Amino acid sequence: MSVEVRARALTKSYRDGERSVEVLRGVGLDVAPGELVAIEGPSGSGKSTLLHVVGGLDRPDAGELAVGGRSLVGLDPAELARFRSRTVGFVFQFYQLLADFTAAENVLMPARIARLPLGPWRRRAAELLAAVGLADRAAHFPGQLSGGEQQRVALCRALLLEPPLLLADEPTGNLDPASGEQVFALLLDLVRAQGTTCLLVTHNPEMARRCARVLALQNGVLNELSR
Amino acid sequence: MRPPPLAWQLAPRFVKSTRRDAATSFLSAVAAAGIALGVAALVLALSALAGLQRALRAEILDRTPQLEIELPAGSDTGELLRAVEKVEGVRFAQALARSRGWLVAGGTAREVEVVAYADRLPRSFPGARTEEAGAGLVLGEELADDLRVRPGDRVELVGTRPTLTPLGPQPRIRALPVAGTFHSGRTERGDRVALPLALADGLLRPGPPVLEVATGSLEEALPLAGRLREVLPAGSAVRTWQDLNRPLFFALHLERAVMFAAVSLIVVVAALVLVADLALLQASRWRELGALAAMGAAPRELGRLFTLLGVIVGGGGAAAGACVGAVAALLLDRFRLVRLPSQVYFLDYLPFAVEWREVGAVLGVAVAFTAACSLWGARRSSEMQPAEALRR
Ligand SMILES: Nc1ncnc2c1ncn2[C@@H]1O[C@H](COP(=O)(O)OP(=O)(O)OP(=O)(O)O)[C@@H](O)[C@H]1O
Ligand SMILES: [Mg+2]
Repeated sequence: MSVEVRARALTKSYRDGERSVEVLRGVGLDVAPGELVAIEGPSGSGKSTLLHVVGGLDRPDAGELAVGGRSLVGLDPAELARFRSRTVGFVFQFYQLLADFTAAENVLMPARIARLPLGPWRRRAAELLAAVGLADRAAHFPGQLSGGEQQRVALCRALLLEPPLLLADEPTGNLDPASGEQVFALLLDLVRAQGTTCLLVTHNPEMARRCARVLALQNGVLNELSR
Repeated sequence: MRPPPLAWQLAPRFVKSTRRDAATSFLSAVAAAGIALGVAALVLALSALAGLQRALRAEILDRTPQLEIELPAGSDTGELLRAVEKVEGVRFAQALARSRGWLVAGGTAREVEVVAYADRLPRSFPGARTEEAGAGLVLGEELADDLRVRPGDRVELVGTRPTLTPLGPQPRIRALPVAGTFHSGRTERGDRVALPLALADGLLRPGPPVLEVATGSLEEALPLAGRLREVLPAGSAVRTWQDLNRPLFFALHLERAVMFAAVSLIVVVAALVLVADLALLQASRWRELGALAAMGAAPRELGRLFTLLGVIVGGGGAAAGACVGAVAALLLDRFRLVRLPSQVYFLDYLPFAVEWREVGAVLGVAVAFTAACSLWGARRSSEMQPAEALRR
């Protein structure tokens, strides 16, 4: 399952008192279904902002945005939530696991939010945890896991419902090289196996090179670096 | 099977995890305990008032005619009495005459209200102990004690109708036997004595003629008043036991209302602590809320989660408080634990009556108020910006 992502002239600025920061100044983006795209850019260039907008967590000020042919402009908060629930999986730099829930329960959370029958998804959650080598850590709480382990749990969580679009914001940015490499390799495997469309923000040129395309966000616009 | 809404799935876990977090668990405990305390105090106070009210009511109603009719001066009492006796529901009716007088015995004189009755001792003289009521005066136990008279003794009743003599008007005095005593209790405002009309003849100058009417029960007396009015001439006044005690019942009612409002303030303060607790809970989980939103939770669902949390903490406190209050009231009443000085009050202990409808109302009000505060306290989550939350 995968979707295409299409954006035209996306703008987004933050007003902070009287000063206004223009972060996106007309971003255009075309990602084919199943494509794996890396996004680079200096710190503060708006990479996270772009992923939030594409994933329906934030709204652009202007421009067009469609995911899987469906426009996100003008959706109300409940519709956006439903879109995120069914279409998007997020992976964040700081894992963002829920501290009160075990690894297995964290992975199951998207099914709870979507109010799907939990039985089959519980099984899939266990399979995913086994696939990332955490079968014996399913009952551990996030506080009892290393950073790399937490990020692998977060990856399973993002992919539980087989979302057609995965948005990963520096998933290895907080990890040491070895566990970063492990998480990245797992991400590539799972994304390729499921045929998921994926936007990946990374500061690591070596990882960017292993993606199909590399885009650079600079001065609020997106440029093609390589194909 | 479709799982319940997210709020219901997550709230139990969030409540449990509150216990790990010192600051929020302290605030939650304070809020729950405060609401419990307020509700318990309310239930206890209202039960005490209800118990007192019940006892007082019984005591007062024992001394009140079920219905009393004041006839216009100069009306034909005998004819109206026959008309009243024909009204459906009337079990007994008799003419009364009220007057003032003085009772003299052993050199002591006491001003009394004299109730002269046609047939039998009115029901407003409860607990009468007489061998033969028709034979003379019936006076209150305490008055009898004060005057040191006992049934069979003779006392002098000084009437208000004067006799004209060459020396000027002289009071009429009649020596009468004491036929018995009645239970005067501690709520009597003055001394009353009863005697048959036949013995009072010519002695008193009574006020307007009065009929005493009795029916099956106090409840039946209320609708009967309307039916009586239809057969009576203009200018007559029908008063039920309720009308006769209206100021007292109003005061008791007002007392409860004021008590309710005053003690509710505890619940209000505790509910405000709940708002602070929810604010802290949300702030400490703000990023997790962002993560839940990223997984597809709508902000309003997250708002509902915290509303539910507040209702669980506050409602739990309210339920616990209602139980504690009701059990305490039942025990205090059963074992008569609150003693009263019997010289001062008409009871020697404070009775408690748990009125379950009232407990339900208190609980309902507390939970509703808690829910309103929770809704308000959770509004930050309902209006959250997911992207902003994730940046924290
Ligand atoms: N709520 C906000 N109010 C004001 N400015 C904001 C807000 N959120 C983000 N910004 C600004 O927008 C710009 C882009 O932020 P963003 O997080 O998208 O950058 P980024 O490319 O992801 O950076 P990094 O590589 O450090 O993660 C930054 O300059 C940031 O300061
Ligand atoms: Mg970023």
